[in-house]
Amino acid sequence: MPKLDVLVRGNRHCLTFQPGPSLREILDRSDYRVRSACLGHGACGLCRIRQLAGDECPRQPAELLHLSKAQLADGIRLACQIYPTTDLAVELINPAAPSGWHTPPAGLSVAPPSLAADRPLPGGVCHPYGAAVDLGTTHLSLAVYDLLSGHRLAERWGKNPQARFGADVVTRLMAATEPDIAQALAFAARNAIGEAIEDVTLREGLDPQRINRVTVVGNTAMLTLLAARNHDLLLKPAYWTAAVDCAATDGASWAAAWGISGSAEIELMPPLGGFVGSDLIAGLVTSALIDGPAPALFIDFGTNSEIALWTGDELLVTATAGGPAFESGAGSCGTPAEAGAVFRVTEAPGGTLVYRILDDDRAKGLCGSGLVDLVACLLRVGRLEPTGKFADGGKLFAFSVGEQEFVLNKRDIDALQRAKAAIGAGIVALCATAGVPLAALKRVVVAGLFGRYLDIGNAQAIGLLPLLPAAYIELAGNTAAAGAAALLISRQAQEMAERLRSRAQLINLAHYPNFDDAFLDHLYLRPMQEN
Amino acid sequence: MDAASTVRDDFRPLIEALLAGDHAAALAETRRLSQIGLSAETIVTAGLEIAMQQLDDKCTVESFNLLEIMLVGRAVSAVVRELYPEGVPPDKSRGTLIVATLEGDVHDLGKNIVKMVLIGKGYRVIDLGRDCPVDTVVAAAEREAASGVLISGLISTIVPQVRRVRAALRAHGLDAVWVVAGGAALKQLVATDLDVDCVAENAFDGARYIEQRFGETKP
Ligand code: FES
Repeated sequence: MPKLDVLVRGNRHCLTFQPGPSLREILDRSDYRVRSACLGHGACGLCRIRQLAGDECPRQPAELLHLSKAQLADGIRLACQIYPTTDLAVELINPAAPSGWHTPPAGLSVAPPSLAADRPLPGGVCHPYGAAVDLGTTHLSLAVYDLLSGHRLAERWGKNPQARFGADVVTRLMAATEPDIAQALAFAARNAIGEAIEDVTLREGLDPQRINRVTVVGNTAMLTLLAARNHDLLLKPAYWTAAVDCAATDGASWAAAWGISGSAEIELMPPLGGFVGSDLIAGLVTSALIDGPAPALFIDFGTNSEIALWTGDELLVTATAGGPAFESGAGSCGTPAEAGAVFRVTEAPGGTLVYRILDDDRAKGLCGSGLVDLVACLLRVGRLEPTGKFADGGKLFAFSVGEQEFVLNKRDIDALQRAKAAIGAGIVALCATAGVPLAALKRVVVAGLFGRYLDIGNAQAIGLLPLLPAAYIELAGNTAAAGAAALLISRQAQEMAERLRSRAQLINLAHYPNFDDAFLDHLYLRPMQEN
Repeated sequence: MDAASTVRDDFRPLIEALLAGDHAAALAETRRLSQIGLSAETIVTAGLEIAMQQLDDKCTVESFNLLEIMLVGRAVSAVVRELYPEGVPPDKSRGTLIVATLEGDVHDLGKNIVKMVLIGKGYRVIDLGRDCPVDTVVAAAEREAASGVLISGLISTIVPQVRRVRAALRAHGLDAVWVVAGGAALKQLVATDLDVDCVAENAFDGARYIEQRFGETKP
């Protein structure tokens, strides 16, 4: 992959990039953003950079319009007008203030092209925009669409600020039993959506008043906490297979706080029930699970992992606690799959490990896929045993990536084993309930940002995914965000969601008699086996 | 106490098999020891208890992961079932305790380990299984005149149920019943958070607390 050297405020950073997007788009995914106030079509002239080295492509009309002769002679360019294909070095002369909002690591929230923009437009604004929000436990993503054409205009991705109240949904739900904290949690989520809207509209030069529909998907806990309603019900087992109402009751005040159109429709897509949220429905819409080959398995790896099995006739769904290992990597050396994350580990001939970093040259830690790779490598070379013990009886594996040093503890591996076991047992429970052997699966959709970078062979070697031909396994990325976009613009998507809702049967894993055995089996770091 | 110094040579293979979580080997050793005439009680005190003592020492330094502990728990269960197919006779009991995994939690190996430790120490243990409603726990505590209730929780969704236990016991006039909570999801919380008497670091810690309380009541 070509390299991009970025000089910003006197510091040099080295990124790699896939040719295709503009320089501004490449920078927008990293921590080094340029200022901007248009969609990147050369209208604002703010995205100025100085090219220091690399192939010079011809000056574009927008550059001739915005840049003086002296600037042009000095190597100044507009980042949105350059589409680099080879190594490049640039200086950010107009860097944007650091912000928690970025373009997602790859264009993940694109509604499936088969789902047309055919929903009736909300009244009150001519030529309205809509915002699709996927409110995840760890991250929030927001994409702005042109509701008339169905085009995606821009998207943002950032942290869910509720994390300071707890990393997992249950800790947050428990915190919310205090009314003050429930208010604070709701405010944090709403405010984050507002910030994302502000960042995307300001930087892309979009009028927020034209946003006239906001469609939100999320797991049940996130939706109830956002709506500040019924989150207490999720703490009662009786509701773990029941419907939970979390419709927004005060959309107008949310719209006012977000600075969008006063007539905006605010839709919180209702969850399926229990801990299975509308993010799963969105994912199933994106992957058209019930319209494809069967039997098919859908796994959304996350802090709250959701699993669906389509037998061709029945749709079984469940939720299971995955812990943060997938989304944020292993405890002490973990990081989300964002710029700076080690997302790929391979063995070079001779046994040295090679680490690849996402959109940066400084490693912040291992994200979920990097963790899976590293554990699989250590197993292969015999440094780790299938029980998760280090072969030498030690408690850690120390490694360095560039100048950064990291430690992978036995406890971090244990966290991965537990997360893997929870999902493995969930898969086995669904398959056993439906009478579908693992080997009969014709399709496995792996959703979640974690899945985006997953090495299928390594995932199978440690038993994270069933042993099936690689062609049956789809790494689908953030299907919830893509599904939110589809639900925002498409009537067909809404209809499919209704069909899914009417077919889905919620399975309570507590009622699966062999859960313990399945859980124990899947704690092992070894390929998944049929019981 | 240096546990290793009290290990009887003829029990070494059993203890090793238990700690390796090899339940087939542990069962074979148990049968061999029974055949050469050793009583179930001896096998428990010289085998299981020592193995658990050693596991306890290792657990405190966090060198065992969940899988290893579960495997040991499984091996211990298998051995106890072999020794007492009908359950531990109540006349040998030093007191009655209730163990349960509460409604919503699907994991009961943690609870099974506590149960084994307590049986190993000679208590009468009523196992209510997993996915057990709080009301069932209270009813059992009343019926069996239990001295304590031990709750294990591996997943954090269980915390709200744990918090209800004490109040539910009180509502039935069972104020004196000790409540001990333990397990991955619970051990990072403090006792007042959960409204319990003790949050156990692990099964052994929980059993120690119970012993200590029995010690206070029956000097
Ligand atoms: S001109 Fe490049 S972003 Fe506006």
